[in-house]
Amino acid sequence: MLNVVLVVWRESLEAMLIIGILHAWLVRNEAGRRGRNALWLGVAAGLLLAVALGWGMLEAQSALAGDALEYFQTGVLFVAAALITQMVFWMARHARNMRRQLEAELSSAADAGNWFGVAAIAALTVAREGAETVVFLYGASFEAGASSLGAAAALGVVLAAATSWLAARGLRLANTARLLRISSFLLLVFASALLVSGVDRLIGNGHLPPLVEPLWNSSALLDDASGAGNLVAQLAGYRAQPSLMLLIVWAAYWLIALVSLRRARSAR
Amino acid sequence: MKHVMTMLLVLAAQAFGPVARADDMPTYSIVIRAGRFEPATLEVPANTRFRLSIKNEGPGAEEFESTELRKEKVLAPGASSFLVFQPLKPGSYRFFGEFHPDTAQGRIVAK
Repeated sequence: MLNVVLVVWRESLEAMLIIGILHAWLVRNEAGRRGRNALWLGVAAGLLLAVALGWGMLEAQSALAGDALEYFQTGVLFVAAALITQMVFWMARHARNMRRQLEAELSSAADAGNWFGVAAIAALTVAREGAETVVFLYGASFEAGASSLGAAAALGVVLAAATSWLAARGLRLANTARLLRISSFLLLVFASALLVSGVDRLIGNGHLPPLVEPLWNSSALLDDASGAGNLVAQLAGYRAQPSLMLLIVWAAYWLIALVSLRRARSAR
Repeated sequence: MKHVMTMLLVLAAQAFGPVARADDMPTYSIVIRAGRFEPATLEVPANTRFRLSIKNEGPGAEEFESTELRKEKVLAPGASSFLVFQPLKPGSYRFFGEFHPDTAQGRIVAK
């Protein structure tokens, strides 16, 4: 049963963290009330999507359906990475506009579209991780009694929520400027991890050349296949044996993201 | 809605070409049983594309995962699927079952 708790904790942690960070940031904003509604709507939609996608994973047994699912999952990784990155830029612009006290109407009109972004991010992250949890729990129900399984799964979700709540709590101790800075950084880390997973999938399927691989092997230092290293791999995109292609994409992402973020913060 | 989604996915899959062509490449197979891989060590030729068919005999679900091999595949109990691997350099590559990490450990040895 400990295994069930651990797997559910792991699978829900990333979505919970992203939601926790967005929530902490929205709480701080005067205009964030509608954003929080959008966030919870997104979570609800994500839960429904997770069940649908989980069902799809259980049903997709033919080779063609398997291919389609593979493309879909790869696509979701890139879309989620793009949405989160775009959200970080918007947060930076939003903070700048708040400082300049632009007319409330103007900023609220621009906000409306981005509340949709908030909802979409919540829905996609919940759906992506939730779907695997659905399949896992479906399978686990054959391994153990349903009642103890339910309790263990609930415990896993509660633990992940508590982890995320602690993180969000910590964030809220920071002042607004620092909160924005830390939130932006964490969200970019998560987005880069999604990008890394997506690129790795494309390399694994032969759609992208690895160029040189591996560039190095740091498995002895931090193993990406088990324990803490695997968690870092999942959340931050760590790879013990990265290919040159992966490193190029990762470095380009951070370069572009940080330069654009600086521009969004300062320029008009 | 479901059918529209399926159709879109199938169209996308055809547009991009299949992930795995079923042409003549060597095929190996692994069975997942009670949270373990059988065989746990699989020998494959190096520098050759190959196909790995995976059957999960349950009772639980399993996620075949390997960061080294860049693969991730969720298998419901009773499900069979396959993965196509790009040519591997000689060496040993670990994989594991994310849903049973304590017992489901294996490696592919490319020679």
